[in-house]
Amino acid sequence: MKRSAKILTAALAAAVALSAAALLIAPSRAVTARIYLDGELFAQIDLSAVEEPYTLAVGAGNTVLVERGRISMLEADCPDKLCVRHGAASPLSPVVCLPNRVEIDVEGDNPGGADIITGGAMQ
Amino acid sequence: MKVKKLCHLALLSAAALVIFVAEAQIPVLFGIPGIKPGLANIIVLIALLSYGPGGAGAVLAVKLVLGSAFSSSPASFIYSAAGGILALAVMILLRRVFGEKQTWALSAFGAVAHNTGQLLAASVVLGTSKILLYFPVLLISGAVTGAFTGLCAQLALPLVRKAFYGSGR
Repeated sequence: MKRSAKILTAALAAAVALSAAALLIAPSRAVTARIYLDGELFAQIDLSAVEEPYTLAVGAGNTVLVERGRISMLEADCPDKLCVRHGAASPLSPVVCLPNRVEIDVEGDNPGGADIITGGAMQ
Repeated sequence: MKVKKLCHLALLSAAALVIFVAEAQIPVLFGIPGIKPGLANIIVLIALLSYGPGGAGAVLAVKLVLGSAFSSSPASFIYSAAGGILALAVMILLRRVFGEKQTWALSAFGAVAHNTGQLLAASVVLGTSKILLYFPVLLISGAVTGAFTGLCAQLALPLVRKAFYGSGR
């Protein structure tokens, strides 16, 4: 392997590591949260306007914790608790409780941006 | 252009197109737009390594034009073209740096360039620079998927040469 090839590959690996670190450290910029129950909009919350953290019961089995700029599943009566362990919802990873058909989506400060791209642009 | 070369490039273009159309049927992975394996690049890479920039450019052009005709919206042509052309340009520039045993690394650079081109095109078309925040995600996915497709090309190349020339050359 040539020296220049080694340097370039190392630089790419470093860039990947940096990006991964940035993604892990970056605060979730959640602004608008939407909670869906059985596929229907159950609640829409402006997370930037939340003063005090509060909990919200969604359906029979789920409790959502709403905080400023952050939303997560606090409790669920399903056996696996995947949604509770998921932590806060982020624009790229919504919280989903499959057994109870509850989904929490969040949007960052660029509403619609992701939707426009998903709409076929980058396919 | 020799008939043999023409036939080989036509075969590679057809293969790239089939892979491209088949891959378009796979739903978006991980729910993140822009992340996909990019398997058709295996073929572009093979064309680059066996027929140089001209051959790879021809295969890419066929894949881009017919690919956007066969699948999704015509608007996606801009993104595919921006990504594909930038990726090929970077791989042409770097191809002398990396030996054939490091095709996987060459391909990783190509894939990152592809994602960069798509993202830049998207930010121009959508008139917003905020989506450039996707760059870290696309950098990681490009490096991973690019290395994978590059490894595929690296392993397939001797077989393709054998089929084309009757020996490993």
